[in-house]
Amino acid sequence: MAFIATFVWCYILWLVLTAGSKGMLWSTEELIAGVIFSAIVAYATRNVIGEKASRFLNPVKWVGFIVYSIGPLFWGMVKANFDVAYRVITGRIKPGIVRVPVDLENDAQYTILSNSITLTPGTLTIDACPEEKALYVHWINVTDPHPESSEVLAGSFEKWARRLGR
Amino acid sequence: MRSDMGLIVKTTARATIPLIGIFGAYVVSHGHLTPGGGFQGGATIAGAGILFLIAFGFGEMKKRYNHHLYSVLEGFGGLVFLGAAMLGLGVAFFYNALWHEGPILNGQPGTLLSAGYLPIMNLAVGLKVFTGLISALFAIAAYRRWRE
Repeated sequence: MAFIATFVWCYILWLVLTAGSKGMLWSTEELIAGVIFSAIVAYATRNVIGEKASRFLNPVKWVGFIVYSIGPLFWGMVKANFDVAYRVITGRIKPGIVRVPVDLENDAQYTILSNSITLTPGTLTIDACPEEKALYVHWINVTDPHPESSEVLAGSFEKWARRLGR
Repeated sequence: MRSDMGLIVKTTARATIPLIGIFGAYVVSHGHLTPGGGFQGGATIAGAGILFLIAFGFGEMKKRYNHHLYSVLEGFGGLVFLGAAMLGLGVAFFYNALWHEGPILNGQPGTLLSAGYLPIMNLAVGLKVFTGLISALFAIAAYRRWRE
């Protein structure tokens, strides 16, 4: 199953790279070459991507990722950039490293949440500790030194990460 | 001392190593059409291997790395390059016989199957560069006498 997940993942990138070889579409030789090279790469890296990666072949999850990236994530980045611009001009910062307890189960959920927190300016994930179910986040303006959940610094990101990485 | 990276780096490496590999294969196989070619694509694929070595640590790499296989593949890449160069030996060394009267790889210029023996040579050089760089970096990573 990991082979199929890797193959699909590689073949999608190949199609994106070679689009336009026949009009706006793909010529037959590019499609066949893509199958061959994707199979080679997928066979070589089948043990790398992880056993449960095939759950990301679910199209419902792709829709979820698209909605998340153009909806909550993009809006969060816009808001946070204006907030950081305000802090640069006024100089009102109160930096610190806080420990944020999170309720996540697997690696993909931790990665999605950590990357979302790092992408929104003003917060930077330093370390993810799955064994103590916590993230360590460097925060530009600490309003709550001991947060109970990630709600106060990441909004709805944890809910989305739990759903997308499941 | 831990020799591997944290959870986030590992998970991102799991997702990106196949993508780096297929992008390197794209650069190698389109060397006669787009910028890049054997060396650049081979170095890109070697970058995926180095990412694996750094993200997962030397111990994990040691389980996956087979010195004999990489050594054989590097020699095979060189031999394929030489073989492609000798295809037109009836006229001259490096004579592009596949392009002039070959059965394959003599399509319309600009398509994938054109340019005679160039795609074969690009693939051979890509394979040689990839295996050679990975072997060299693995040997450097294995050299740990300062730990004794």
